Amino acid sequence: MTSQLGRLIPQLRIPVQPKYRPLRNVEGSYGRLKNLRSTVTALVRDERVEMQYIRLDEARGYAERLIHDAILHGDRDTHTMDMANFWLTEKQLIHKLFKVLAPRYAEHRSSFTSLYKLPPAYRENDKGAPRGVLELKGNPFPPLRDGSTDRKHLLHNVLLDEARRQYRHKKYQQLAAEARAALADSSAEPPRRPSGD
Amino acid sequence: MSMMALNFSCKALLASLPQKYHKRCLSQLTNSAVCRRRALLFDEEEKRQRSLVGRVQKMEVNYEGAPENCTLVMNQHLSTPHDCAKHLSEAILQKAALAEVDGRPWDMHRPLSADSCTLRYLYFKDAEPFAVNKAFWRSCSLMLGAVVEEAFKDQYYVQLHSFPSPNVRSGSFLYDVQLPLDSWQPTDQELRVLSGMMRRLAQRALPFRRLEVPQAVALEMFAENEFKRSQVPSIAQQSETGDRVTVYRCGDHVDLSRGPAISHTGLLGRCSICAVHRIEADSGPLYRFQGVALPSDLMLNHFAFGLLEDRARHLNPSGSVAASGRGDTAAAEAASG
Repeated sequence: MTSQLGRLIPQLRIPVQPKYRPLRNVEGSYGRLKNLRSTVTALVRDERVEMQYIRLDEARGYAERLIHDAILHGDRDTHTMDMANFWLTEKQLIHKLFKVLAPRYAEHRSSFTSLYKLPPAYRENDKGAPRGVLELKGNPFPPLRDGSTDRKHLLHNVLLDEARRQYRHKKYQQLAAEARAALADSSAEPPRRPSGD
Repeated sequence: MSMMALNFSCKALLASLPQKYHKRCLSQLTNSAVCRRRALLFDEEEKRQRSLVGRVQKMEVNYEGAPENCTLVMNQHLSTPHDCAKHLSEAILQKAALAEVDGRPWDMHRPLSADSCTLRYLYFKDAEPFAVNKAFWRSCSLMLGAVVEEAFKDQYYVQLHSFPSPNVRSGSFLYDVQLPLDSWQPTDQELRVLSGMMRRLAQRALPFRRLEVPQAVALEMFAENEFKRSQVPSIAQQSETGDRVTVYRCGDHVDLSRGPAISHTGLLGRCSICAVHRIEADSGPLYRFQGVALPSDLMLNHFAFGLLEDRARHLNPSGSVAASGRGDTAAAEAASG
């Protein structure tokens, strides 16, 4: 039964923390929800937000689910519309969700958001909770990571490349030697047979 | 097992070899004494060259790179790229392997000589680290030479021959050495001791100091080493003035090399001396020490490093030592290395 029910809910395309994060708040669990709601709203509005990493990680799942539902059911579905109404506190963003984000991600096969950890920074009046950046994919901003991911000339990769090449060369030679031996055997067989007898 | 124990056991093993290997005792020549003498000569020559600089002149260094481009005013013929890095950031000081002055690779500890120059730093993680990789391989050979000279007991007088031009693709860095042993086959433990000594050299984070010395000084420095002594004149001939020989110093070890070398030994990360092969050269049999190493910046899992070690165990044919033309090329190789 549970497995059948599970199919009705689209699976999240992000790794989900198995542990519940309370995100302590003076208003209790309602305050937690309010925080998450403002985070999701800010994400849909600005497409890139920077704040505490755990809060972003927690809000990310809700944003993903909201977009996925909007893609699957569209704006005619009552439940989806209710959810959009709840999670997006600025009501003009409901239009953005259905008219901009749902078409943008209709063909996507991976997650709709990216989450990055920021390096620890020195701040005077702060305990220094780890911070992160959450962004919607396909946003208009310049990319956070630089494109220089070319690592093939680094020393270890040069060494491994050459080791791989040598290994392949050895294997090919081995195969060629085996093939040659097999060929020699098959051509040598007929004359050998009488001598063997 | 601690490194000390390994080192001790290596020496014990060497001491337990048959008496016929003890011929060198009579020569009274020990590597430690020779090493000290060379270091003293290096110090003297360096002091002499410093005194020749005279009145300090200022120069402009245009630095390009992170955190921001800037212009530094430094001392001509005294300040090095390492000194410039002290004004920029500690990260650069620790991580820069090599400098690039006016587009040419330049040692971190070589004084800048032009009136004004542009300066960049080169790192192991650059997108195109060819110069740095080559310098690293060369520096590994230099360190291997230092380790081999130090590793044997005083009764075995070790003479370093040369190492071929560094080629990372060959899979191992080399040093050809003449040992007063007839057919020595190192055990795994002995190789591990050599690797451990390389690690200890790395932990000391010694700078590679460069000095251009006149031919006469170089001949005096390497008077006790017949191979180096014979290589010096042809190296001097190839130099611009026809009388200069470049030597490198790391700790108390001084060696011939064209350079450039990396900033300091602390940049050596994982290192393993994999094999010692006996090879025949014109000047007699030599032992080729082979190893493989990675910079401390680059991480590699132990399985992948094991593959590299396996490859480094096979004889590396670089430098055509086996060929008969070794006598002619020895000096050139030493110069190129």
